[in-house]
Amino acid sequence: MKLVIIFSFALLVSFSALAQKDTPAKSCCSPMLATNSPQQETLPETSIYQFDHQWKNQYNQSFQLADITGKPVVMTMMFTHCEYACPMMVNDLKKVEKELTKKHEDVKFVLISFDHLRDTPERLQEYAKTQGLGENWILLHGDAEQIKEISLVLDISYEQMENGAFAHANKKLVLDKDGSIVFSLDGLQTKPKPIVEALNKVL
Amino acid sequence: MSIKKTIWFLGCLFIGLQLPAQENMQMIPAGSYKPFIKGAAEKIAIDAFMLDEYAVTNADFLVFVKANPSWAPDKVKALFADSGYLSHWPEDYLEDKSLETNKEPVVNVSWFAANAYCKWKNKRLPTMHEWEYAALALPKGETDSAALTQINNDWYSRKTPKQAEVGSIYKNQYGISDMYGLVWEWVYDFNSVVSNDDSRNSEDVIAGLFCGSASLNASDASDYVSFIRYSYRGSLKAKYTTRKMGFRCAKSIQ
Repeated sequence: MKLVIIFSFALLVSFSALAQKDTPAKSCCSPMLATNSPQQETLPETSIYQFDHQWKNQYNQSFQLADITGKPVVMTMMFTHCEYACPMMVNDLKKVEKELTKKHEDVKFVLISFDHLRDTPERLQEYAKTQGLGENWILLHGDAEQIKEISLVLDISYEQMENGAFAHANKKLVLDKDGSIVFSLDGLQTKPKPIVEALNKVL
Repeated sequence: MSIKKTIWFLGCLFIGLQLPAQENMQMIPAGSYKPFIKGAAEKIAIDAFMLDEYAVTNADFLVFVKANPSWAPDKVKALFADSGYLSHWPEDYLEDKSLETNKEPVVNVSWFAANAYCKWKNKRLPTMHEWEYAALALPKGETDSAALTQINNDWYSRKTPKQAEVGSIYKNQYGISDMYGLVWEWVYDFNSVVSNDDSRNSEDVIAGLFCGSASLNASDASDYVSFIRYSYRGSLKAKYTTRKMGFRCAKSIQ
C-alpha cells in the first residue's frame, strides 16, 4: 500500500514537471506590440511603427522605428555586401534626395539591412561614409527575427543564398508621419519623381 | 538513503523516461532533400527538428486568444491580420462551448498570428524547407510514393470539402499527421524568393512558375500539387487570412 502511495506521488511529480514544461511563456506575446510607449499608443492600426523592435543605427545607438514618428520616410531593405542591386537602389534614393527642397528637410531615408551577421553598426557606418550618405540617412542593424517581421509588413521578399548573399525584392516605400505605408515602387533605376510626389503628400 | 526515498527516486526516473520529450511533437531526423523549385538545384541539408504531430486546432487557438487578448478577433491590429481573421468563429466565441473541443484545424489566421501562437508555446513556425522535407515522408506502412500522390490528388479534386478534423487524413512515417489533405500551412519564410539571382524579385519567381519556364525550373514537372503549393505561397502576404490556411509549430533541437 505504502508503495502505491509513493508511486502515485512520483507519478504526480512527473506530471506536474511535464505540465510545467508545456506551460506557455506568459510574457512573450504580444510578440512585437509595444504598449508601454505613449508615442506608440496613438499610432494608427496600419502603422509599421507598432513593432517594438530594438534596432541599432550606424552610430551604434539603440533605435526604434517609432523614434521617427512625425517625419516623412523613404524606406528600403538592402545589405552592404550586395554587389549589384543594392548600390543601384541606394543610388536611386540619392537621386530622390537631390530633388528635395527646403520643405523636405524632415525627410528621413531608412535602410534596413537583411544581413544581421555582417552588417554590424560599424560596417553600416563605413558604408554610409563610402556612399556619401549624410545626416538624413538611418542605416539599421537588427536580429534575424525582427528583420523577417519588418520585411513582411514592407512586403519585401528575401532569401539568404548559400554564399551568404541575399536574393531580395527591390522595393522602395514611402511612409507617412505615422509610419503607414502610402506608396511603394518596385524595380531598379527608377525615376525619383514618383517618390518625391508621394513625399509631397505626406509633408 | 532510505528505501522509501530510493523507490521514490527510481519511480520518478522511470516515469520521466517514459514521457515523450515534447507532448504531441515528433522528431524529424536530419537529412537532405531536393526542393521542388530548382533555384537551389543542389540538395538542401536539414537538421533534425521537432514538429507538431497535428495542425493547431480551433480549441488550441481559443486558449491562446483567451490568454492573449490582443489576438482576439475584435482586437487584432489591421497591420497583423486582415478582416477575415477568425471569421469562422461565432461572435460569442467566448461563451460558445463548442469551440473548446473543436478538433478542426484553425484557419483564417495570418502569419503574424501563427507566429505569435508558436512563440507563446515556446516553439516557432517550421521553415519552408523543414515543412517540405517532413511532408515528403510516405504514409505509415507505405513504400510506394504513389500513395502520397493519391492523397494529394484526392484532396485537390474534392470540390468543397467539409473541414475534416486533425488526425483524420493520414499519419506519415515520422508520426506526423495530415501534412497533405487537411489545410494549407504557414511556414516561417513563406516570402522567400527562390532564385539564385541577387537582383530578381518575387514577381519574377511567380511569373517563372506560371509561364512556360515552370517546366524548366521545377525539379519534377509532373508534380502538379507542389507547383500549386509553391506558387500559392508566393502570392501570400503575412496579414492574409484564408479559410483553407492553418499552421503547426516546430522546435529546434538544442
